[in-house]
Amino acid sequence: MLAQVSVLAAEAAESAEKINPVVPDVVGEIFWGAVFFFLLWILMRYVCLPPLLRVRAQRDAQVQADLEAAEAASTQAEQVRRDYDATLAEARGEASRVLEEARAAAEATRGQKVAGVETEIAAERQAAMAELDAERAAALGQLSGDVADLAVAAASKVVQAPLDAASHRSTVDDYVNRSGGPR
Amino acid sequence: MPGLALLNAPSILLAAEDGGGGGMHFPPIDHIVKWPAWFGEGTFYEFNKITFISFIAMLVPVILFLIAGRKSKLVPSGLQNVMEVSIDFVEKQVVLPAIGPEGMRYLPMLISMFFFIWIGNIFEVIPSAHMPANARMANPLVLALVAWAMFIGVGVKHNGLGYFKSALFPPGVPKALYILVTPIELLSTFIIRPFSLAVRLFANMLAGHILLVTFAVLCITLWSASVLAGVLVLSFPMLVAFTGFEFMVAFLQAFIFSLLTAVYIGGALHPAH
Repeated sequence: MLAQVSVLAAEAAESAEKINPVVPDVVGEIFWGAVFFFLLWILMRYVCLPPLLRVRAQRDAQVQADLEAAEAASTQAEQVRRDYDATLAEARGEASRVLEEARAAAEATRGQKVAGVETEIAAERQAAMAELDAERAAALGQLSGDVADLAVAAASKVVQAPLDAASHRSTVDDYVNRSGGPR
Repeated sequence: MPGLALLNAPSILLAAEDGGGGGMHFPPIDHIVKWPAWFGEGTFYEFNKITFISFIAMLVPVILFLIAGRKSKLVPSGLQNVMEVSIDFVEKQVVLPAIGPEGMRYLPMLISMFFFIWIGNIFEVIPSAHMPANARMANPLVLALVAWAMFIGVGVKHNGLGYFKSALFPPGVPKALYILVTPIELLSTFIIRPFSLAVRLFANMLAGHILLVTFAVLCITLWSASVLAGVLVLSFPMLVAFTGFEFMVAFLQAFIFSLLTAVYIGGALHPAH
């Protein structure tokens, strides 16, 4: 196998001596190569490339315009968002203010009502107290009269002689007052 | 007409086998790179398989671009999309990095160069053709001369004769060193550049072509030799792998040639850089 490969290599080397592949030996290949390349170059330059380059330039322009439009739309959207935020903040402030005012008004109303009710209650209480005092005074007056009469009657029973109720009433009243006075 | 097909390839191999007494014989190199004339033999317009491939390499991009551009739409689809991608590729990978925005005027030339080389190369792996046009020196030579004339022309157009001065006498170099630097620059810029451009393309494609022929010969020979047929398990996958590799090389060499041409033009536009 190795011998065969070496034969192959030797033959290749031997055959390489026959021609020099670096030197172009067929003029027709140079001629036609030049003709076809220059033809390709000319056709590319004037026929093949321009339509594609043109449409590419149009696309680039379109993309650029779209980008600018998108940029403008984005700026506009940003402005709208800022306006919205400002409006929202304003509305929130207004709502807060209204709420505060309502709260203050409610507080004032409540204060007024509470004060009115308290005043009313105080008046009613004072009236009740006055009435109570009057009732008490009346009850005390009546009670002291009854006690005096009862005491005089009891005393007249003890002494077995009629006592003058009117003359002893002040003594009984004085006693009642001293014993049943303020506690 | 001998046709595009490599009909004479089996005869080459058979002849090689006959001549060697049954062993494995590699066909002579002139049998795998030289092709008989279809017409005009010995004249300047001699036409053969290589020139036919060059014709195809001219025709295919023209047809593709014409079809793509015929009903081009703002939103590309199908072939228009593919061709626009190829334009974008040459523009963004070749023109803009090497020359800059002012290099857009050279886009048609560089696209033509790229497609002419690529399609010429791709025939290396097209079944029944199996011959890259650029494995012959003619096309690489023509293209290298075009690149050479182009970058010198661009340099003179934009910088006048001062282009030669700045190319041969680079600024910032001590004057005494010009004795050394100027001949080196003269050789490297104006003589070796086109030569290296042409030889790089030609040698890569020729080497690939020889590689594929070698493995093809090996496979065919082993197929007939029953004792060694087991080696096919190695040699045939290698042939397939090298075919894929050559597919990539075809594209790569077209890209490198176009890119270097663009770099030379860019250098001629701004010689001070």
